[in-house]
Amino acid sequence: MTGRRLGGALGTLGLLAAWAVLSSTVFTTADGVPTPWAVLRQVGHDGWTFYGPHIRQTGTEALIGYLFGNALALGCAMLVLLVPALERVVTQLAVASYCLPIVAVGPILSLVFTGSRPMDAMAGLSVFFTTLIGGLLGLRSADQSALDVVRAYGGGRWQQLVRVRAIAALPSTVAALKIAAPAALLGAIIGEYLGRVDAGLGVAMTISEQQLEVARTWGIALVAGALAGVAYALIGLAGRIALPWSRVTTVDGTW
Amino acid sequence: MTSQPVDETVAGAALLPDGGTGLSLRGLRKQFRLGRQQVVALDGVDLDSREGQFLALLGPSGCGKSTVLRILAGLEPPTAGVALVHGEAPELARRRHHLGIAFQDSALLPWRSVAGNIRLPLQIAGINPDPRLVPDLIRLVGLEGFEKARPAQLSGGMRQRVAIARSLVVDPKVLLLDEPFGALDDMTRQRLNLELQRIWQARATTTLLVTHAINEAVLLSDVVAVMSPRPGKIVAVVPIDLPRPRTPAMMRSPEFHGYADQLSELLFGHGEAG
Repeated sequence: MTGRRLGGALGTLGLLAAWAVLSSTVFTTADGVPTPWAVLRQVGHDGWTFYGPHIRQTGTEALIGYLFGNALALGCAMLVLLVPALERVVTQLAVASYCLPIVAVGPILSLVFTGSRPMDAMAGLSVFFTTLIGGLLGLRSADQSALDVVRAYGGGRWQQLVRVRAIAALPSTVAALKIAAPAALLGAIIGEYLGRVDAGLGVAMTISEQQLEVARTWGIALVAGALAGVAYALIGLAGRIALPWSRVTTVDGTW
Repeated sequence: MTSQPVDETVAGAALLPDGGTGLSLRGLRKQFRLGRQQVVALDGVDLDSREGQFLALLGPSGCGKSTVLRILAGLEPPTAGVALVHGEAPELARRRHHLGIAFQDSALLPWRSVAGNIRLPLQIAGINPDPRLVPDLIRLVGLEGFEKARPAQLSGGMRQRVAIARSLVVDPKVLLLDEPFGALDDMTRQRLNLELQRIWQARATTTLLVTHAINEAVLLSDVVAVMSPRPGKIVAVVPIDLPRPRTPAMMRSPEFHGYADQLSELLFGHGEAG
């Protein structure tokens, strides 16, 4: 674990170093590549007064999409498990939602909904597929003999779902929810590119790009990335605290 | 399926000297589809035991003995024939919480504690038991002090003890054991077998033990049914007339060896004769 963390930190540092070297040798700010410190200085200069409203707007959209998209996906996964006949329909819908280019969906959603609803929907759409697949995989990962035990003691499908499958599904569901957090943020930001709202990181990025505010454009991207990373880490941490047994079972699963 | 064979079974049971019917199998047949092929796992299995009897089903791997147990547990329907546990269809016995079961794989839920795993059948049955029941069972299987431990913190033998305690918690009429100690080392296995005998003697629950270990079958059983593979059939039923409680010392007695040789002959006889 510590080794993996160290590797991750080294990777990030390496990337930053490469950026620093390239931006002060091959590229210049005039080429559109500012130095890391120029970007950080700009972020510091803009501060919360600039970022606050944008983060609040985008964050709210992503959060609403995250909650609804995931709830729908997990609901569908459970439905498929209780009524296996529905599997084809549900997975087809999910694959369709995944295959539709999000840049094509955005304008349609903007026509159908008003305000920030299209962005909420985009965020929700971005998480639906991965969470559905993660949830289905998880619900199927239950130990067959544990399911047999529940049956032999008089339980049916419902008891198997509640006592075994739903809980055995949690590790892989948490993994899917982790990936869904940055995906929701990305969906919301792309939605803002295409939609009609006054604030949000996507809007801010478009405007600063048009104003040739190179350092600020990079800064917004950096902040959006950091936000996604924090969301990912928080969900992962919550999962580890809530499921203390899950890592043990994956390591020791063959017993 | 007609009700005719059921009536015959009940009539047959009345002729048995003491107690009611325990387990009863009549013309049990099971076919699986393997690709385009039909594989016959069981072909006309007939077997009876009395209430409170310890019956072992002895046979080589893949002879269909686990399939017999799964049919009796209501986990699989037979292709043809009738299976009854205490006069009930397995499906009914299962839904009435009359069965206790343990597999080679302890099948404990990794997120539940020892006590929580033992409590599982009660929760499924919606029974609110005497609060001393679970602690008593934990003591019975020798796991005092481990009530709150998770399965991952236990050894293989301890997990099987939990599985045995879980199988007893609903006070089942019939105990179905599919090589519950099969994955353990010999020493642990023998110790747990002796404990299983003690637990069984105290309760006199009708028991079916599926095993491929001859000594284990002789040590524990009132009756050993020997199965042959492909297709699975009962080739002999051998009553074990040794006093109880059976002891490790008894395993060195000529009587014990006599039974073991007899069963070994039934299992592998043709090879030696040739």
